Amino acid sequence: MAENRIDGSMSSRSFYKKSHWLTRFLDGWSIFKASLLGKIGMFLLILFALMAVFSFIPPLIDPMYHPMTGVDPEIPNSTGPNISHWLGTDFMGRDILSQLLAGARVAFMVGVSSAFMSIFLGTAIGLIAGYTGKIVDTLLMRLADMIMVMPTLLVVLILAALFGQLNIWTIVLIIALFRWPGVSRVIRAQTLSLKQRPFIEAAKVAGASHVRIIFRHIMPNVLPLAFLYMTFRVTSAIIIEAALAFLGFGDPGTVSWGMMLQWVWKTGHMFKAPYWLLPPGICISLITLSFYMLGRAMDEVLDPRLRKEGEVD
Amino acid sequence: MGGKKPDTSGPLLHARKVGITPVEINKRKLIIELAGVSKFYRSKSSFFKEQRDAIIALDKISLKIFEGEIFGLVGESGSGKTTTGRLIVKLEEPNEGKIYLGENEITGLRGKPLKDFRLKVQMTFQDPYQSLNPQISIYDTIAEPLIIHRLGNAAKQQAKVREAMTSVKLSPPDDFFYRFPHQLSGGQRQRVAIARAMVLKPRFVVADEPTSMLDASISAQIFNILLEIRQKYNMTLLFISHSLAAARYLCDRIAVIYRGTLVETGPAEEIIQNPKHPYTQALIDALPKFARHEGAIRYDTLLRPQRQDSAYDCCCPFFNCCKIRDPWKCGREKPHMEKIGEAHEVACFFLKEQKN
Amino acid sequence: MSLLEVENLSIGYQTRKGFLKAVEGVSFTLEKGKSLGFVGESGCGKTTIGMALMGLLPNNAMIVEGRILFEGEDLVKMSDDQMRRIRGKKIAMIFQAAMNALNPVLRVDDQIAEAVLAHDPDCSNEDAKKQVASLYDLVGIPRERMGDYPHQYSGGMKQRAIIAMALSCRPALIIADEPTTALDVIVQDQILKEIKNLQKKFNISIIFISHDISIVADVCHDIGVMYAGQLVEYGKREEVFDSPIHPYTHALLASYPTLTGERETLKSIQGETPNLIHPPDACRFCERCSRSGTTCGIETPVWAEKSRTHRVLCCMPERSA
Repeated sequence: MAENRIDGSMSSRSFYKKSHWLTRFLDGWSIFKASLLGKIGMFLLILFALMAVFSFIPPLIDPMYHPMTGVDPEIPNSTGPNISHWLGTDFMGRDILSQLLAGARVAFMVGVSSAFMSIFLGTAIGLIAGYTGKIVDTLLMRLADMIMVMPTLLVVLILAALFGQLNIWTIVLIIALFRWPGVSRVIRAQTLSLKQRPFIEAAKVAGASHVRIIFRHIMPNVLPLAFLYMTFRVTSAIIIEAALAFLGFGDPGTVSWGMMLQWVWKTGHMFKAPYWLLPPGICISLITLSFYMLGRAMDEVLDPRLRKEGEVD
Repeated sequence: MGGKKPDTSGPLLHARKVGITPVEINKRKLIIELAGVSKFYRSKSSFFKEQRDAIIALDKISLKIFEGEIFGLVGESGSGKTTTGRLIVKLEEPNEGKIYLGENEITGLRGKPLKDFRLKVQMTFQDPYQSLNPQISIYDTIAEPLIIHRLGNAAKQQAKVREAMTSVKLSPPDDFFYRFPHQLSGGQRQRVAIARAMVLKPRFVVADEPTSMLDASISAQIFNILLEIRQKYNMTLLFISHSLAAARYLCDRIAVIYRGTLVETGPAEEIIQNPKHPYTQALIDALPKFARHEGAIRYDTLLRPQRQDSAYDCCCPFFNCCKIRDPWKCGREKPHMEKIGEAHEVACFFLKEQKN
Repeated sequence: MSLLEVENLSIGYQTRKGFLKAVEGVSFTLEKGKSLGFVGESGCGKTTIGMALMGLLPNNAMIVEGRILFEGEDLVKMSDDQMRRIRGKKIAMIFQAAMNALNPVLRVDDQIAEAVLAHDPDCSNEDAKKQVASLYDLVGIPRERMGDYPHQYSGGMKQRAIIAMALSCRPALIIADEPTTALDVIVQDQILKEIKNLQKKFNISIIFISHDISIVADVCHDIGVMYAGQLVEYGKREEVFDSPIHPYTHALLASYPTLTGERETLKSIQGETPNLIHPPDACRFCERCSRSGTTCGIETPVWAEKSRTHRVLCCMPERSA
């Protein structure tokens, strides 16, 4: 709406809107704070985010710390942790720690963008299916069913086998294309229940078009759920990418944790170099765990039915 | 009744007493007419199942509502009163019959004419907690119809919203502009819903059980607001309710509906003091009367336990519960509305034998 | 000895925003075979009192002070075990929207029999079913419907089934919290008549909780009017209705449309209920009161007795009509 300065009240509207969001956020935050899972998840995520940010630092300190190309001139093979390489080196003499940090960056990239795409797609399809109903709904949902039953990893492997090494962004896209059905089912269910609510009927009686109802009334009520599901999607995206890389189908140009595991395995260091094997493995587990915890805690914030007792309205 | 004094505050009482006598009604313009309207819901089955499987919400009802009156539609749950309201505002379409707004038929409207129609006919819903979008501020909620129909610029819209809010006693309006529904009480939310319905200055508003979910003193405020709005804007109101007492207070004319059929219509006071249909009489009997007065009339028309044996589909809908029924007549034929006085119509075969 | 004596009961809830004083200083007595109605609008504390009597207050609620003497024993001091023995057997409750309290996947007679067996483990299954059958006769449901599932019952029948469940152990006291909201007018009338008959027949005491004063007026001997957690007027039904003293009672009565008499303008009460986390020390109704005087905002109101049975909590009771 136009922010005319006809009188003071109009210009202060944005302030009130912000303060409303602020109160809602703070309300949610206090519930979130009370959840142990949420706090642990948040803490871990911040840790990984810092890792990703710091990943740019090692190469700046010394070129030999570059995760892909940095080779320590003095160390030609895998060694344990020492002063110049805190986690040791891999089989080529590259620093493991900087690889780990770079892997965090990739994990976030892959996880978040793939999740974002699948949420976008899933929400759009779920909204349309739920709101339109009948044939469109049936068709879309059957499509979703078909995709959902296909094993994502297998299909990606087949595609990789057919087309050779895949670019990381192609991988991201494919993961997104296979992951939207889950989201769309949930969004569709939410849309169906919202469709019947009196305030939607009130909007119809006021003369709102279908487009307006979807974007102004249904979507804002559905988006929190979509974001919630995004956290779950991130975990699966990361795991799939790691699995792909581990099996040798990842993008050889990027260093991800799965790639690191692949190198460990391929070069026969699985049981010989725990300092190389353990960090990426632990990181994969922890990052997925932290996103999951975050999702669970947010679930409690967003779904009032899950809130603990003592919340008197 | 202890504790109550007659109130001589001018405008409201004046509005009701002078307002709408039956004679005057016939001189006013007809706003809404339902002619033979039926609505049924078929279960989703094959084409081969007969109509008997359908749930009949409304069975060929006809009524007329005139400009400036408050028309009450009273019935219990399942009577079809809410369906009637929804058909009038076109949230649903009737299966049979026609609906008219003024002289224009509005059954089957689509597209631009439908949008224009929405400017003239609005509705408030029963549940104040659900009929407002929790994510949208009060200002935006009330302004939405104006935005949808692109009426005026931002300044004009704000003025209209202010006016609507003052007439529902949400004052000062600016205090409420940026609040959200969950910050308001039930009574305030219902007033916002009324303001939203009124902001387009429609000719006709359907108020579907506006106070069922509110406490008594808040309901009183809502009733008074509706009366004032009618007075100020000459709006016509359809008041749907399960409470005859509320309808008596608010309405000029009342129609009683039972299981999808209108059983009695007439001026409010006449229906209350002189009900003729056994169902209306049963409703009046059932209302709690505080500390029963001596000489309160008991009509005693309910049959208990109810009979289950109507073998005929076309019988009087009240047949199973009626004490005074005649199995040969009432069980076989459906009575039509007959006039028994000025503007008083009843659908019953036993009009002559009614005790006064 | 009266069946139930409540002395100076105060209950509060610990919420995120503070301690909410839901009930403050409520005292009343209930004799055997009599019925008492609590009337007030939402949030006035009447449901909280009902829950406290049943020992079903949620975890964040606490009884700050007061005694609940039921047959001479203080319920406040009882342990969970002791309360469980009393609950259902001596004090039964009919909740709000009780129709939803029936388990949809069990047959109704099984559910009621379960209630019987819970308090009388020695009873055999057949005997329990026989009791259920006689209860059905009592509340007016045809015996053939005993084996049905809840969704096959109408709203009125479900409510009767709940009443049967409450009666199954022949309690001395029944607490009925809005037993007839969500029911149609005619069914509501029938249920209320049933309750009255059953009360007379078995000499049960009933506490009726409702926001609808017209229902309470028909059914109860005594009325207690509640506002913002306090009892503001208490007396026999005739006294409270025909000669109410407290301005809130006046206002409440004046806001109900009637069928008989003059069509007077209904009065609504301006303003909102006070915040119970920080309630005013003085009269809680003062801000909305049409008859408030100069001292009302400062003085704490005390009980004034109009007669032996009729009392009111007001600073200026003599200002009534």
